[in-house]
Amino acid sequence: MGSILIVAEVQKGAIREASFEVATFAQKVAGATGRDVKSLVAGKGIGALAEEFAKRGGGEVFAADHELLEHYSVDTLGVAVRAAIEASGADVILFSNTPSGWDIAPRVAAELDAGFVSDCFSIEVEEGKIVYHRRVFNGKLDARLTISSEKAVATVQPGATAAFEGATDGSVSQLELSLSADDLRVRFVETKIAESKGVDLTKANVIVAGGRGVGAPEKFQEVLKPLVDALGGAMGASRPVVDAGWLPHEYQVGSSGQVVQPKLYIACGISGAIQHLVGMKTSNFIIAINKDPDAPIFEVADLGVVADLLEIVPALTSAVQAAKG
Amino acid sequence: MKIIVCLKQVPHQDARLDIRSDGAWIQEEGIKFEINTYDTYALEEALRIKDAAEAEVVVVSIGPDRVTQALRTALGMGADRAIHVKDPEAEASDAIGLAKILAAIVKAESPDLVIMGMMSDDGNFAAIAPMLAGLTDMPHTTAAVKVERSNGTLRIDREIEGGAREVVELRSPCVIAVQTGINQVRYASLKGIMAAKKKPFDVKSIADLGLGGQVGAAAVKVRIEKISPPVKGERAEILEGSTQEIADRLVGKIKELGLL
Repeated sequence: MGSILIVAEVQKGAIREASFEVATFAQKVAGATGRDVKSLVAGKGIGALAEEFAKRGGGEVFAADHELLEHYSVDTLGVAVRAAIEASGADVILFSNTPSGWDIAPRVAAELDAGFVSDCFSIEVEEGKIVYHRRVFNGKLDARLTISSEKAVATVQPGATAAFEGATDGSVSQLELSLSADDLRVRFVETKIAESKGVDLTKANVIVAGGRGVGAPEKFQEVLKPLVDALGGAMGASRPVVDAGWLPHEYQVGSSGQVVQPKLYIACGISGAIQHLVGMKTSNFIIAINKDPDAPIFEVADLGVVADLLEIVPALTSAVQAAKG
Repeated sequence: MKIIVCLKQVPHQDARLDIRSDGAWIQEEGIKFEINTYDTYALEEALRIKDAAEAEVVVVSIGPDRVTQALRTALGMGADRAIHVKDPEAEASDAIGLAKILAAIVKAESPDLVIMGMMSDDGNFAAIAPMLAGLTDMPHTTAAVKVERSNGTLRIDREIEGGAREVVELRSPCVIAVQTGINQVRYASLKGIMAAKKKPFDVKSIADLGLGGQVGAAAVKVRIEKISPPVKGERAEILEGSTQEIADRLVGKIKELGLL
């Protein structure tokens, strides 16, 4: 049997939590299929991190330590990944579905002529076969996939499982790479921190958030705003609302907006794409109002109303105002 | 300058998703289709480059007859030429197969830029752009939310986590995969739709592209065995009753939470 190679990710001087989550799946699949787990830890000055990962789920670690690996570039990391695949003899290569993982993994798969599956929330072994579970149709359906090529490449959804807690006794070996700045066809320039224009949703006790189902930009002011005011809360929005230009980006809740945890989150006309759910599902109490009874938002909500928000929200606003006297 | 825009036609966002009898995909007969949301932003970005400079915009799509409509719409919005890969074998391909088909077209067309949405609203694989770049040895980037051009260099803002951005530079020819919300997408004007009828529209088969045997059902490496509704977690308690009764129960809950 071959090996499973984890391409670990270093961020702010530490191995990302998401990489330990990948290790959870890698160790489980390795145990069930007789493979062993090996890893790549690439970055600048990552010696200690490689040692740490070898002991906490990474197994035998290939360390690629180079100045040109400090910032993600598909070109330099690509060289390290290719070298690690060769050195490990891996037939299953796992990345996290992070901005660098989703950028490089499909390219690696194409170069290997390998099957590729992205954003898996689970990887299981069923009757000796590795089965990849992921969502399709923006979270509305689950899919169960298998890969038949000699090599397989997959990315794992961050937060889908717990970080690996066991101990491994892997050793670390250095990958000697000859990298030059000329290899950089995609060049990192800078990171821009999110601009906050005064809407800090993370401090709100109550968030009333609207999605595409609100129907029109003016409805946010006409229908949602009175409820926001009655509850003394803040307004939030899902990505499609912001993409359509109905509300500015600072209102966006989700993986590419703000991650919130209010006492009460009222989702109005939000279907519940995974990108939105990761930004609000740990709220203390969630009420969802949506016309579609199958909307994924009802999976994370505590109370649901299957109805037109344009009817329910004004009635709720009046009832809140009446209750306040 | 030549820009290739790859478009996918996907089930309409509000379409009913019934699972097909073999369980492996949805029932596609009788539902409405539309251009993948992400790809509409890619097309708009290409058209903006064309508006600002001399550029030919070529739209490419793989799929059955219905895809004609998506390509006609794109031509109506301002694209100059369409290539429709229509072949049952093409449709049976997985992501790597589709990327090989697009790579054959890209090699024949030698564009300065290939642009597409970063994922499709149906499969959500987000695989094609990096795969195509790998197969054609072009640099690529994903999750683009801003594209600036100067002298053959593209400066791209990539969306990373928590609303932060990573700025990268890459040289043309390259492949860019865009996020949604990068621009405001135009509509096809009536004049544009009329003009579209006269624009070149090529239909190609797998054999035309010299890919016989390399893509299609027999070459599939990734198999969707089964799709199913998500495993129900602790589903919400669904409130029933009149609008007023529901509003009153919600207020009761909000009071219980100490928020009133």
